[in-house]
Amino acid sequence: MEPRRSLPLAVVGVSHRTAPVEVRERMAFDTRDAEEALLRLRATSGVEEAVLLSTCNRSEFYLFPTADRRGLAAAETIFRERAGDLDRPTADFLFRRHGEGVVRHLFQVSSGLDSMVTGEAEIQGQVRDAYERATSLPVQPPMAGPVLNRLFQMALSVGGEVRAETPIGEGAASVASVAVELARKIFGSLRGKRVLIMGAGATAELMVEALARDGVRGIFVANRTLEHAVPLAERLHGHALSLDRLGDALPAVDIILSSTSAPHPVLTHALFREAFPRGRRRPLLAIDIAIPRDIDPRIGDESEVFLYNVDDLRKIVDDHVRVRAGAVPAAERIIQRHSEEFRSWYASLEVVPVIRNMRERAESHRQTEVDRLFRGLDHISPEDRARVEAFSRRLLNKFLHDPTVRLRKGMLEGGGAELVDAVRFLYGVEGGAERGENPEALLGVEGTPEIDEIPRHSHDMTTPPHSDTMSGRDPSRPKETE
Amino acid sequence: MIHLLAFFLYLGAFLLWIRFLVSGARGDGPNLASGVVGLAVVAHAVALGSFWAEHGELPLAGPGAALSTLAFVGGLALLALLPVRQVSRVGVALLPFITVCQGIALLVGIQPSDQALAFQGAGFILHVTFAFLGYQGLALASSAGFLYLIQHHELKAKRMGRFFHFIPPLATLDLLGQIGVWVGFVALSLALGFGWAWTVQHPEVIALSDPKVLWAILSWVVFAAVLLLRRGRGRREYRSALASVVGFSLVLGSYLVVRLTSPGSGFLP
Repeated sequence: MEPRRSLPLAVVGVSHRTAPVEVRERMAFDTRDAEEALLRLRATSGVEEAVLLSTCNRSEFYLFPTADRRGLAAAETIFRERAGDLDRPTADFLFRRHGEGVVRHLFQVSSGLDSMVTGEAEIQGQVRDAYERATSLPVQPPMAGPVLNRLFQMALSVGGEVRAETPIGEGAASVASVAVELARKIFGSLRGKRVLIMGAGATAELMVEALARDGVRGIFVANRTLEHAVPLAERLHGHALSLDRLGDALPAVDIILSSTSAPHPVLTHALFREAFPRGRRRPLLAIDIAIPRDIDPRIGDESEVFLYNVDDLRKIVDDHVRVRAGAVPAAERIIQRHSEEFRSWYASLEVVPVIRNMRERAESHRQTEVDRLFRGLDHISPEDRARVEAFSRRLLNKFLHDPTVRLRKGMLEGGGAELVDAVRFLYGVEGGAERGENPEALLGVEGTPEIDEIPRHSHDMTTPPHSDTMSGRDPSRPKETE
Repeated sequence: MIHLLAFFLYLGAFLLWIRFLVSGARGDGPNLASGVVGLAVVAHAVALGSFWAEHGELPLAGPGAALSTLAFVGGLALLALLPVRQVSRVGVALLPFITVCQGIALLVGIQPSDQALAFQGAGFILHVTFAFLGYQGLALASSAGFLYLIQHHELKAKRMGRFFHFIPPLATLDLLGQIGVWVGFVALSLALGFGWAWTVQHPEVIALSDPKVLWAILSWVVFAAVLLLRRGRGRREYRSALASVVGFSLVLGSYLVVRLTSPGSGFLP
């Protein structure tokens, strides 16, 4: 049997799997850049639908259709121009996927399976933002047309389903989120709690931003040189102080985040005892991600102090990551099921013009034969002519009913592509739908939810790509890199 | 029969909490367990109401009836906690006490007191009601303290496993413990006051040197000690949690001693 045709979809881009951060950051797009890139892509390549997903871990163009390689080439040109001079060709960092691989890839991305931290939730919102950005571009036809519209809507839905039905997103899986979870388990509400940051590292800043989202107020930034503490303190609406005044701040704070590059402990046991001569009365969460450690480990022996170093946090994260990794097979099964669903939906678009052409051809034959019959039967009354006409129509419908129903069923069950080929061959018909055609009427599937959701404004919602492009046998198709 | 139903419902609710804990304890608490607690309290209320209607006395005197009412007060306290997210998980530690109280009540028999006429009047009812409230306050503080100690241990051991996810935050447990001890202390103080007044009025029923009276005074001292231990230097919350657990164990232990040394005395908790 002929292999299934691939979908005329493509994705090209960079991700944390294919490019280091120095390359990814060059190829990242902010909102304005992304909009300009999409408009340019359409203007230069004629691609009908495109969505650009750009996060700190990936920048990816989703394209439809990919009848020729102009869309892919244009997207690669955009990446090349943004990357500028690299020590290797830009193409070395790009990955490409085609057909159903695009569907699976996007579903994996939205489910967090392709994220640096498996199951992370932010990607769901980033996929939604990318889709909405493409949808809101004031161009006609819409940048996220019926196919990508359907694909991204399903991706968001699949992402939600995977998170609801598997433990893929359970347990904190980043140092910052572990810090927040620990703080919640110690203090309950973080509203009004005070944080001391020692050093001005990026991870500590990420952690304090996460804590601030939970209501932490009163942030102190301590650094060896006061001037270096001021910018971060201003950014976090906190207070800057030098490390010499650490002892003054200690009694006031509930959480300490430390990441200095000092070669010896900054918060010594003696300093702690000096700050709390009668012992600490309230709990203190101390997170030390510096190497060498900033906080004397003996401080962790104090009953009300919960001290975690970078290895402790890494172990917690690893435990959670293992739980998440165990959920991947179940998530993949959900993704596979919905990929098939998308494939069937797309096939339904392909089969519509075939059915229409098949019926038109049959109707043409019927009309020709009925006219020929009546030319030798002038004595027949108009009533009898009408009866013969009705009989021929009924007969035609009887003959076409089963093929139509079976074609529709085969398409919904995922084997539509082969059946479409067979019908084309047997009936000598071609595809080629006209604009605005309603697939429901021809398929006899009124009320089918998937089809009801197709936006009616699109001019080419039922336009299947040319059959050559559907064959999946394009010799010029680039090799998938991932 | 309805008392037995209440017992099994309390037991069922406890097992549902345990199942939730063992299965990973993530997400919201099991609504099913909360619903079963609600049913248990309703069934228990019906059972105690039937007792009152049938025997013409409140189920406050006699060991079985008193223990069953004590369990009911615990059920009510737990029911009041259920709407508070996460706090309801204290049920996993409080429900065993409630279930055991109801179980013992069923074993010794929930019968009217032989001295029903003596154990009546507003003073006696207030004494017993406040006493129940006091002991349940300490039971609640002890449950919260028990969970606090486990959570504290998990945090110190740097484990984020089932217990870590199931048990409420330390601050929440500490607050709950404080509320339990303070409510219990005030209630038990009032209970002792009403009890003393009632004893003065009915010297023929119970003497001030009776083991039960001594036990009540010891309980009050335990409460006071738990409150005092919260003061002082360092480890305030930890000490408070530990004191609640030890104090409640002491009260329960002394109850057993008194109960065993004066059988059939119409013991009142």
